[in-house]
Amino acid sequence: MNQMNKLIKDILTLIILSTLLGITAQAVLPNGIGLKTEITMVGDDSTAVAVPAVSINPNGNGDAASNISLENAHAAYENNAALFFDARSPEDFSSGHINQAINLPVHAFMDSLPYLENLNLSRHIITYCDGEDCNASIDLAADLKMMGFSNVNFFFGGWQEWRDAGYPIESGP
Amino acid sequence: MRSSFEVFLGSKSGEWLVRIIQIGLGLLFIYASLDKILNPGLFAKSISNYRLLPLPLLHISAIILPWLELICGIALVINRYQRAAYVIIGSMLLIFILAITSAMVRGLDFYCGCFSVDSEESNVGLLKILQNIGLFLSCVLIEYRTVVVQPKS
Repeated sequence: MNQMNKLIKDILTLIILSTLLGITAQAVLPNGIGLKTEITMVGDDSTAVAVPAVSINPNGNGDAASNISLENAHAAYENNAALFFDARSPEDFSSGHINQAINLPVHAFMDSLPYLENLNLSRHIITYCDGEDCNASIDLAADLKMMGFSNVNFFFGGWQEWRDAGYPIESGP
Repeated sequence: MRSSFEVFLGSKSGEWLVRIIQIGLGLLFIYASLDKILNPGLFAKSISNYRLLPLPLLHISAIILPWLELICGIALVINRYQRAAYVIIGSMLLIFILAITSAMVRGLDFYCGCFSVDSEESNVGLLKILQNIGLFLSCVLIEYRTVVVQPKS
């Protein structure tokens, strides 16, 4: 029983020590986060979803990509004003994607650097993935922002919303 | 009557083996914690990808977990508070295993945030589960030696 009491006491000691160090570190680190999770609403008004602000802006540097609605994404498409980056896997991309979109799987971001380095950093880029069930569009937008692109939006409604709206699509690699 | 495995665990060689595993585990957890400690926002983002934790607990977990990994890792290396460290690390590994399995079952595709917050790290998958099960079994082995093979009187 004494051993069990000591074990519980030791466990609590380690947890309390870690908590104190963790909280103190946030005050010291330039990219420290607060104890309270901040929430950002993304998506169109009718389909808005709450996501943690760190998902969109993990470094908290105040220069995060923002959401773009279906309507505005379609307008950008019609005016040929933006590049659409599909953040899904090549398999998903092949089975159907926004017309003229470029496949840029977020997990293979480094492989896309040679292509991205030739783009103008002020070019308007819209990222997307499946829709509300995925975060790849947000992740890719964050990566692009970190790379220096200034005009990046993520289209959170994604492939599902675009396809359901009957807007131009194509399939194949 | 002790099995030959238990006899081995109780021997000097068994003690050395356990000590080496303990230091290895400790160093691994120290290494795993550093990137997360330096990038708490990115680690919070990794946790949120699992979509298991209620949002109000997200930042608190991202702040405490990496430090818990670091402190437990140090405890294992310097051989102080090691039993408490095993219980905590074992529990964390069990939670990681369940979280990764749950993400796989739900078809979520993202990097696991296991050893770093780098988005180029491998995605959640069977290999990650096996990796964590291996680490968890190491904890069980050492705890088994402490409690069953060599209980202190």
